[in-house]
Amino acid sequence: MTERQPLRCDVLVIGGGAAGVAAAAELALAGLSVELAEQRDALGGAYHRQPAGRPTAVHARGRRQWSRLVDAFARAGIAPRLRHVFLGLDSDGLAMLDDRAEGRVLVVRPRALVIAVGAIERVLPRPGWQLPGVMTAGGLQMILKEGGSPPPGDILIAGNGPLTIALAADLARLGHPPVALIEAGDPFARPAAALRLAAYPGLVAEAAGHLARVFASPTPWLRGERLTAIEPRNGRLAATIRDRRGATRTLAADLIALHDGIRPNDFGLPANEESDIVVVRAGDCREALGIRAAIADGRHAARQVIALLTQGPSIADDDAVLRQRRAQAVLGDLFRPIDGADPLAALPDETILCRCEGRTFSELRAMLAEGELSPREIRLNGRFGMGLCQGRFCADNVLHLIAAARPGDPAEPPMRLARDRWPARPVSIAALAADDDEQRES
Amino acid sequence: MSGGHFLWGGKPITFETGESIAVAVAKAGVRDLSAGEGGLRRYFCGIGACQNCLVTIEGTLVEACLTPARDGLRVDAPEAGHD
Ligand SMILES: Cc1cc2nc3c(=O)[nH]c(=O)nc-3n(C[C@H](O)[C@H](O)[C@H](O)COP(=O)(O)OP(=O)(O)OC[C@H]3O[C@@H](n4cnc5c(N)ncnc54)[C@H](O)[C@@H]3O)c2cc1C
Ligand code: FES
Repeated sequence: MTERQPLRCDVLVIGGGAAGVAAAAELALAGLSVELAEQRDALGGAYHRQPAGRPTAVHARGRRQWSRLVDAFARAGIAPRLRHVFLGLDSDGLAMLDDRAEGRVLVVRPRALVIAVGAIERVLPRPGWQLPGVMTAGGLQMILKEGGSPPPGDILIAGNGPLTIALAADLARLGHPPVALIEAGDPFARPAAALRLAAYPGLVAEAAGHLARVFASPTPWLRGERLTAIEPRNGRLAATIRDRRGATRTLAADLIALHDGIRPNDFGLPANEESDIVVVRAGDCREALGIRAAIADGRHAARQVIALLTQGPSIADDDAVLRQRRAQAVLGDLFRPIDGADPLAALPDETILCRCEGRTFSELRAMLAEGELSPREIRLNGRFGMGLCQGRFCADNVLHLIAAARPGDPAEPPMRLARDRWPARPVSIAALAADDDEQRES
Repeated sequence: MSGGHFLWGGKPITFETGESIAVAVAKAGVRDLSAGEGGLRRYFCGIGACQNCLVTIEGTLVEACLTPARDGLRVDAPEAGHD
C-alpha cells in the first residue's frame, strides 16, 4: 500500500546515528520542518547503539554528549520515524520509506535530503569466512551493546585496526575475554606514527584504556599476524593463524569476529548531483572518520543544506572534521599491516568472494581470463555485485582483483560494480522490484 | 514492550526488552539461520547491510538484525529458494 499524498517537509534526514541526529537538531533550530527516518527501533547508530527501552550494559565514551544531543533533538519537536527503512529517491524527488511497523510505504517530498546512513566494515575474504559463527567485529559489538552479553562459546577476534581492541576490551569487561586478538599490524613497530598520535590526546587516552583492559586479561594481543583460513572442526571453528615469519598454527573457537577497517556505506544512494532536490551526505557515510567527527559533520551538513536552500554562501570545511581526517591517517599508519603483500593475491580458488550468492574467486578468475570484460559485464554475467547486499561486501575486492589482473588500466570506482540504482534496500516490498530489475537486465 | 519468547523454527527463544531477533537467537547459541545444510543465512554485520540474516516472519522476508523481537512471534528460516 502506498499513501497517495506525499508527506511534505523541508528536510528529510535518513539515519538516527550521531550525524543524522545532529543534522536534524541543527536544521530544526534554524526553523526548518524536519523528518528523520531510522530503520531500527531506537536512535543511536552504530556507536550509541542501545536496546529500545533499556540502557545498554556496554560503556560508550561520550554518552553525556549524546544524551544532550538527543535532548536538543526532542526539544526541537522532532518525532523520529523509527523502523522506517529508506528505499530510495525517485526521479521526481520523492523519497520512499518502508514503514516496517505498519507494513506500508510512506512517500515523502522533501526540499532537501540529508543521508547519514553510517559506515560498513571492511572484511577481507578468507577461506571459511562464510561459515556460521563468523561475523564482523562490529556485528559482535552490536550484540554486546544491544543484548548486554556475548553469545555462548569461545571468541576469537582477528583483523586490523583499533576497533578490534575496543571489542576485546568490552568482552573482557563483561567477563568473557576472547581467546586471542590477532592484529595484522604492529603499532609498537611504528614509533613515528605513535609519536604523531600524541597530537590527539583523546584518542590516545581511549586506546590506552582499552589496551590496559586487554593486557590485564588473559587474552594475547598477537601483532603482525593474520588469520588466513577458517574451517569447521568437531562442531567448532578452527582458525589458521600465520605469524610474521610465515609460521602457521591453529586456534579453535566457537565464534570468530573479523574486521579489516571501515568504509562509507554509500552503496545504492542517490548521487548529490543527479537529483533535482538538494542531497547532502553526513557522517561516516560521507567519509568514515569515526564518532568524533560524526556530530560535527552532521551539523556541517545542516549548515550546507541551509546554504543550498537559501542560495547563501558556501560553507567552509569544519575544523573538527579536518582534525579527525588527519587523526584517521595517523591511525592508518600506526596499524599498517606488517606483511605488505596483497592479502587477496594468494587466496585459494574456492574462497567465497560474494557472500550473498556463494560465488568464488575461481569464478571471477575464469571470467577475467576470458578477456576484456567491463565491471558491468562482470556484474551482470558473473552476478558479482548483484546480490542482496548490493556489493557492500564484495565490490571493493572484485575491483581490486580486476585491477590486479589488468595492471596499467585506470582503477574503477566501486560504484561501477555495485548495484547503484534504487531501491537502496532490496527487501520486503522492494524485493519484488529488485527481482524484476534483475530479470530485465539478465 | 517487555521481554518474552518467540518461536524460531517452532523452538521457543527467550529475549529481553529491546533485543532484535538476531541478538536473541545468537544469545541462544543458534549460529546457522539457513533452512538446510550449506545455506548462506547467518548473522554477520549486525547493521542491516549484508542481508545475510534474512528470516521470514508471517511470510515476509526481513533482516533478523533489524527486527525487534516480540512475544509470540513466529520466525522461520527462509525457504531454500531465498538462499
Ligand atoms: C558495525 C559497526 C560498529 C562500530 N563500532 C564502533 C566502536 O565500537 N567504536 C567506535 O569508536 N566506532 C565504531 N564504529 C564507527 C562509529 O560507529 C561511527 O563512526 C559512528 O557511529 C558514525 O556515526 P554516523 O551517524 O555517521 O553513522 P551510524 O552511527 O552508523 O548511524 C547510521 C544510522 O543510519 C541507519 N540506517 C542505515 N541505513 C538506513 C536506511 N536505509 N534507512 C533508514 N535508516 C538507515 C542505521 O540504522 C544507523 O542508525 C562502528 C561502525 C560500524 C559500522
Ligand atoms: S546481519 Fe547483516 S543484515 Fe543482518
